[in-house]
This record gives sequence, C-alpha cells and structure tokens, in this order.
Amino acid sequence: MNPTAIYRVAGSIAIVLLLAIPFASSELGGVGPLVLSSYFMHLAITAFFYAILASSWSLLAGYAGQFSFGHMAFMAIGGYTSGLIGKFFRFTTAPSELCTDIPLLGNWWLVILNIRRVGTIDESCLDMARAETLPAGTLIVFPPVWASIAMGLVMGATFGLLVGWLVLRLRSTYLALFTIGFSEILRASISAEIPITEGQSGLELVPLFPGGLLGFTSTSKIPPYYAMLLLFLLAMALMTWLAGSRFGLFIRAIREDEEAAAALGVNIVRYKVLVFVITSTLAAAAGALQGHYIGIITPNTLIILQMSLVIAMAVIGGLENIYAASVGAIVITFALELLRTSINIGPLHVDMTLWRLVFFGLLLMLTLRFQRNGLLFPILERISRGGVAEETVSIREESEEDWEEEVEVDQLEDSPSDSGEESAG
Amino acid sequence: MLRLTSNNICKNFGGLEVLKDVSFTVEGPELIGLIGPNGAGKTTLTNILDGALKPSSGTVYMNGERIDTRPPYGVARAGLGRTFQVTRAFRRMTVLENLLIPAMAMRATARQRDFEEKAQEVLEFLTISHLRNEYARALSGGQQKLLELGRLLMLDPQMIILDEPFAGVHPRLMDVIYRYITEINAQGKAFIIISHDMDTIFTLSRRLLVLNYGDLIADGDPEVVREDPVVKAAYLGEDEE
Repeated sequence: MNPTAIYRVAGSIAIVLLLAIPFASSELGGVGPLVLSSYFMHLAITAFFYAILASSWSLLAGYAGQFSFGHMAFMAIGGYTSGLIGKFFRFTTAPSELCTDIPLLGNWWLVILNIRRVGTIDESCLDMARAETLPAGTLIVFPPVWASIAMGLVMGATFGLLVGWLVLRLRSTYLALFTIGFSEILRASISAEIPITEGQSGLELVPLFPGGLLGFTSTSKIPPYYAMLLLFLLAMALMTWLAGSRFGLFIRAIREDEEAAAALGVNIVRYKVLVFVITSTLAAAAGALQGHYIGIITPNTLIILQMSLVIAMAVIGGLENIYAASVGAIVITFALELLRTSINIGPLHVDMTLWRLVFFGLLLMLTLRFQRNGLLFPILERISRGGVAEETVSIREESEEDWEEEVEVDQLEDSPSDSGEESAG
Repeated sequence: MLRLTSNNICKNFGGLEVLKDVSFTVEGPELIGLIGPNGAGKTTLTNILDGALKPSSGTVYMNGERIDTRPPYGVARAGLGRTFQVTRAFRRMTVLENLLIPAMAMRATARQRDFEEKAQEVLEFLTISHLRNEYARALSGGQQKLLELGRLLMLDPQMIILDEPFAGVHPRLMDVIYRYITEINAQGKAFIIISHDMDTIFTLSRRLLVLNYGDLIADGDPEVVREDPVVKAAYLGEDEE
C-alpha cells in the first residue's frame, strides 16, 4: 500500500472514530459497557481546541520557520472579539436615540451599547432607551453567535496581517521577542480596560448554542463537541491542502533560505504575510469557539505558560508535520489530565496535580534532546519515505550499469584493431 | 535578444566604496568571466544585479526594463538567475522539491505534476537523477552545487550568474559543471561566472571583466586582458607572464 493510501485509510478511520465518540457518552447512554463521562467529552473538546492551535502553529513555525510566540494572542483576539460583540452589539427595529445607532437594511438598526465606567451604577443606554425612547413592541435581538465568531475570524486575520507585515524583516530571536511583546501588550491592555473587557474577572460569552440544539440543552457537551470537531477537521483539511500545494512548497523554501527562495522567484513577502494571516485566523476561530463553549475568556489565556503549552504539544508531536502536532496536542491534553491522579510509592505520596507539569517538562526536554523532530513525526516519515533509500540505490545501480555498457561500446567503437579486423573481415 | 546594461553602479557600505562607477553591457548569449582579488566587489556586484542589494547610485536595465529597483524575486522573474558562493540548497526538502520551486514560482497557476517530467530531464542531465527523492541535506557538497544549477534550469532565465561554481568540487563533477555551462550557453543563455580558478575561467569565458577594489579595470577578450599591464599589476601578478 502506498503512503498516500495509508494516510487516507488512517485518516478515514480516525474521522469515523471521532464522529462516533459522542454515541459512547453518558448523555447518549454509551455503547455497551463503554460510557464516556461528561468530563471526558469536555477533555475531547479542549483537545480539539489545542490541536487546532498546535497544528496551525506547526504550519507557521515548522513549515514556514516563523517562530512566533503570539499565537495565543490571536486566539484571544478571536475570543474577545466575539465576546465583545455579544456584550456591546444589539439589533433593534427602532433607533435607541441614547446609544450609537447605525441604520441597516429595512427597519433594522445596529445599536452599539455605551461603555459603563468603573464605579458607576447607571443602567446601559439600551435599558434606559427601553424605558424612555424605544416604541412599544420594538424587537431587540442579540447578534447570532456564528456572526460574532465570524467577526472574531476577521479580527484575527486583520491582526495577523498587521503583525505579519511588521515582522517581515525579523528573524529567530527578534521575531520571538516581538511576538512575546505583542502578546504581553494585548494581555496588559485587556487587563487594564476593565469597563470594556471586564479585566481579570473575564469576559462572559453567550453559550455556543444559547437555545440548545436538536433536543440537546445549551449546557450539553454533544453540540460543542461536534462544532469543535468540525472546526478541527476543516482546519486540518485547509492546512493539508495548503501544505501540499505551491504555498506549502514556498513557505518551506522560505524556512530553509529566504534569500535563495527569493532569487528563485518566490515572493517571500507575500507568503510570509499569508502564512501569518491564515494561521492567525485559525487560532482566532479556535479561540472564539472555545470562548463560547467555556462561557468566559480571561487575560490569563495569554500568559506565556499557555503559549509554551501549545509549543510543547507541537514539538513533542512533531513540529514539521501538522498531523503530528495535532495528535501531540490531543494526547498531551488527555495525558495532563490523567496525570492528575496522585500516586503512592511506598511511604512516599506524590501529588501529581503539582508534579505532572514536571513530568511534562521532562518529556519536552528529552524530546528536544533525543528526538528533535518529535515523537510522531519519525513514524510518519518512515511511512511516507520508507522506499526512498532502496529507490535511490536501484536507480544508481541501473544508471551505473548503463554507463558501463556505454563505456564498453565506446571502447569497442574506438579500438583501431577491432575496426581493422572488421574491415578486413 | 538579451540586453543587460549596468550604468555607473556605485555601492557604499558606510565610508567604504565597494563599487565605483561600474558600467558594462551584456548582449546576447555571452560567456563572461568576472574575476578580481578578494574584496574587489564581485559578490556585491552580483547581489546588485539580482536585486538582493540596492545600488547607492546607478541603474541596471534588462531588456529595456529597469531591474535595480525590483526585489530579487522580480529580477528572477525578469530573467536573471544566480547561484551563491556558499551552496544554498533547501536542505530539508527533497531534490525534486528543490527543482519544482523555481518552476512553480515562475508560473502562477502551475501544478507540481506539470514540471515533474522536466525536473527528471534536468536531473538526468546533471547525473543526479537517482537522488530525486532524497533530502538535499543528504547530498555531497558537489551534488548540492549541481542541484543549484538544476534549479536555474527550472527557472529558465535568460542570464545566469554563477558565483564560484568550481570551488571545492571533485574533478568528475567539475566536468559536469563545465559541460552544463557550455551546453546551456550554446542554447542561448548568457553567463557571468565568478571564479578564482584562473585556468578554467580563461579557457571557458569569451569575455573577461576584472574588478579591483570596486573599479572595473578591464573588460574584453581574455587573451587581451591577460596581457593588460594594469590587470597584471593588480591581480594576475608578474608570474602570469
């Protein structure tokens, strides 16, 4: 079986299994003796969230060589944008007169609520408008969650474009420092702007499916599971296509040697900015979806530890392969939770809630020391490049045989005694 | 027909004048050697021609279009390809992928399989077809030089600049590179070859440019340049007589 077929079969089996998992959940009664708890479903959703982040970071850092530490910042931009739209935007059938009113099509208006300053207890402008200026029967509608998430993507792409353009000439350490700075500025701004973002208290987001879906309540894990799985699969499909196309070829060339790539006709500015925009958009999408699933987003999602976690997931799985990075993220999400179970070694009690991160750090260090391409990447390499060495040897032997034959023929043709004998004969 | 014109190129790095009013024209498939002692400005001139550096003053035109204001990829698309003094293969990509990059970059809507046949022909011409699916990092230094030359064939430029193509290369591979230059030149492509290998450069080139501390001190037939007293004093030395 050729490597492409192996990947297709393995991918299809994985997708079927992932789609089937909710049927084994406690909500749906399980399958036979297998009953997966609600906690397991929550872990699976979180694992997909991290898998999107780790694989998109792998495309940015592993394929394109852009070691950005700002990936969680783009995730937060997606989450906060979606949350802020839910907090401040409403659609009404009449102007409020007290808020910022923007006319839309038909009788509809986009109402942007005012920002209540710290320490004030006044009502929002819309509450006041409801009592004073809005006619009776005016409809007030929250923006749909999907539209808020879509705006999160747009903001993620916009910031990705901006940061991608700003870091064009930065490499390695400078790029890392710049993106850490960007992430920290964003975290500090979110923490400081309490009237807008609620600061450290966190911004609340409406549930992913406020009214439930297909009989599932708004707190059910099943619809968010499929929503996050869908985003994960779409992200993987998009990145697979990109990695296999000219885009993938060019960003890898940029990773290897920017100047040589440019000298061969590759527009490095375009592809460096593009890879930032695409990966930032994916991170923003994951952030927006996760925000609505969890129901709250805080500036702590931007701390360097969170970014380190995503990097570690990609590195342990395999930085230069989006599948390896995503599997690494899924495995580590579950492993970190399973490692919470404390153990007793003789009289020694090991509190794993504290020690698990030590084990995780050790795993990361060992991977970097002994398996720099990650634990999964070498296996994928073996599948996809298993026959290359044999092929090289066989083609070389063939060409050497041809060459020897050519030399023999040349020698026969060039030999004066041979030709003399022939002519004499 | 190709026409590349370098008009009064100057390049300063701080107070250092690396190139001083360098002017020359390449017309048609010429085979030009560019020589000069270390620090003469050969690589700087190459970097200006390919867009990696901007001249402090002066202009470069190719087929009537100004190219010194273009980025390197724009110069490559205008028809000028180059190799580097230190080989710069894309080491963690396969030999085939290395070859596909310039071909794909030149054509916006192309797909990989459109060029695989041409890549195979190029690899056979360079005698490294058996390495097609190996990572470039597995290749020897000489084979990586051949790979760089192969990438230029895929780019298909009108003019090729080779920076030290014979440095540190095994004699057998040297023959392949020599054959590459003469055959591709015969197909109508111009070459500028930078080399410190005097025997090869005098044998190979039909015109010689000599740079000395930023000045173009000679431009002409290699045999005439060889006897030029200024060149002898500056570069070749009296023992060349």
